[in-house]
Amino acid sequence: MIEVDGLTKRFGRHVAVDNLSFTVAPGRVTGFLGPNGSGKSTTMRCMVGLDHSESGTVRFDGVPYRSISRPLSSVGLLLDASYVHPARSGRNHLRWLAAANRIGKDRVEEVLALVGLAEVADKRLKNYSLGMKQRLGLAAALLGDPATVILDEPANGLDPEGIRWIRDMLRFLASQGRAVLVSSHQLSEMSLMAEDLVVIGRGRLIDQCSVHEFVRRNTTSRVRVRSPQVGEILRQARLLGATVEYVGDSAVSDTAMISGVSIVTVGETSAKVGAVLHELTEVTESLEDAFLAVTADEQEYRSGGVA
Amino acid sequence: MIAALQAEWIKVRTVRVHWVLVIIAVAFPTLVAALVGMFNPDPQWVYSRNVIDLVSGVSVVSLLLLASLWVISLTSEYSHGTIRVTYAAVPARWKVLVSKAIVGTLVTLLVMAVTFWLAWFVGSTILNGRGASIGLGDDGVDAGGVFVSLLALAVIVSWFALGLGAIIRNSPASVVVVLLWPLLIENLVALALTLAGVESASKWMPYQQAIQAVSSDDSSPDVLGRPGAQLYFGVVALGLLLIGAVLDRRRDA
Repeated sequence: MIEVDGLTKRFGRHVAVDNLSFTVAPGRVTGFLGPNGSGKSTTMRCMVGLDHSESGTVRFDGVPYRSISRPLSSVGLLLDASYVHPARSGRNHLRWLAAANRIGKDRVEEVLALVGLAEVADKRLKNYSLGMKQRLGLAAALLGDPATVILDEPANGLDPEGIRWIRDMLRFLASQGRAVLVSSHQLSEMSLMAEDLVVIGRGRLIDQCSVHEFVRRNTTSRVRVRSPQVGEILRQARLLGATVEYVGDSAVSDTAMISGVSIVTVGETSAKVGAVLHELTEVTESLEDAFLAVTADEQEYRSGGVA
Repeated sequence: MIAALQAEWIKVRTVRVHWVLVIIAVAFPTLVAALVGMFNPDPQWVYSRNVIDLVSGVSVVSLLLLASLWVISLTSEYSHGTIRVTYAAVPARWKVLVSKAIVGTLVTLLVMAVTFWLAWFVGSTILNGRGASIGLGDDGVDAGGVFVSLLALAVIVSWFALGLGAIIRNSPASVVVVLLWPLLIENLVALALTLAGVESASKWMPYQQAIQAVSSDDSSPDVLGRPGAQLYFGVVALGLLLIGAVLDRRRDA
């Protein structure tokens, strides 16, 4: 269990993290979302005392990070896969980390095998690809068999097989009762990976809930209907207070989108008017849609429009 | 603390450039002693004191190389970001700096001892083979005193280097400062103090005084004598290390 309470971090006048509070439950993968510059990485660094926060507390199973005698055995961290010495081998990188927390050499070999790097463990890290460094970073995070795992963008640089592997790995870790906090910009991946979400913008908490709840709260569910009698269905739907919109030219189109009523209501209405249905589909918007809707006013940096 | 020491020892021995610097540090005085032994035109007029002074003088280059090693071993952690991994593994930051200082001290002692005696052995053996008659302790030279002074200077310079590295956190800048401090910075400070009316300012420059104290003529440090000069420089180096530790504790990693 991670408990973050009232965390605040400033860089000069800029408030990077603003009175942020959230919890990460054991046995679940919690996604940490926010636009670029929203303070996700700073929060993670503050959580483990790498950056000094102005105020607030962070506890791991009730204990501050600095009070844990062998921290890697309680909290596994992957903040940036590039935090390695390029002239050192992957095995030696893990060995010094293991030594610092009195973790046996056998465990180094175990995690190397677990992440699929055993065969290249003696290569110098300057020869590793970003994906290999991500795997090494995950091996380092798992070195102490920790109850809590914190990963910042672990899927960066991974190929599709690697992304799927890390998704399965995080779910597996959570299934063992570990608290897993993971940030990622790959929202489609996050929707598959995480069960809960902590969403921040400009260093402030925007929402904390399950992924399903977050999408439900922040998107509009619509029903797509295709029928030769679509006009009659829409007329009845309007009477029920629904918002309707033809797909394509209303004069010729047999397809429409209906929002404000459930798919069950649309089906029953169609039956009532004796309409033949060629399609009846609930169109649910994605985590990306929900995220963009929620963080529209919280973007630190905005892209220009595409001409 | 033992765990942090083990981690630092693994870090030092698992980077190739560290070994290269150690090999050069050992080889350079040995090579110079060998060349002097081979090409000195009048070997019969070379005495023990000359060889000791040659070896101790050239060994200063070795201790500067080792100082560069300790600077790089610390500052490269900042440049590669591994300091964050280090402090995540060992949240008590002072333990990391103290571990680096202890590992640095032990390796420096070992390397400088090997360097000094290997260079002495090679130089004196070659010269003796060409007609010289050089033995340890001949002509009243205090070889042991010079050796201990050299070791002390090397250890103090390693602390000095680590302290500067912790303060500056940048490899090129830290190495330049460590190398230029005795050659340039203390001379400029002494000049400024002299212009300000301070008498014999150069006698109070800690690094230069400590280097002079290594000479076989132990009366050479004008003000403090051999132990005093090294104690003075040791306090300065420990002060820098302490400032580095305090700054490191306050700064974000």
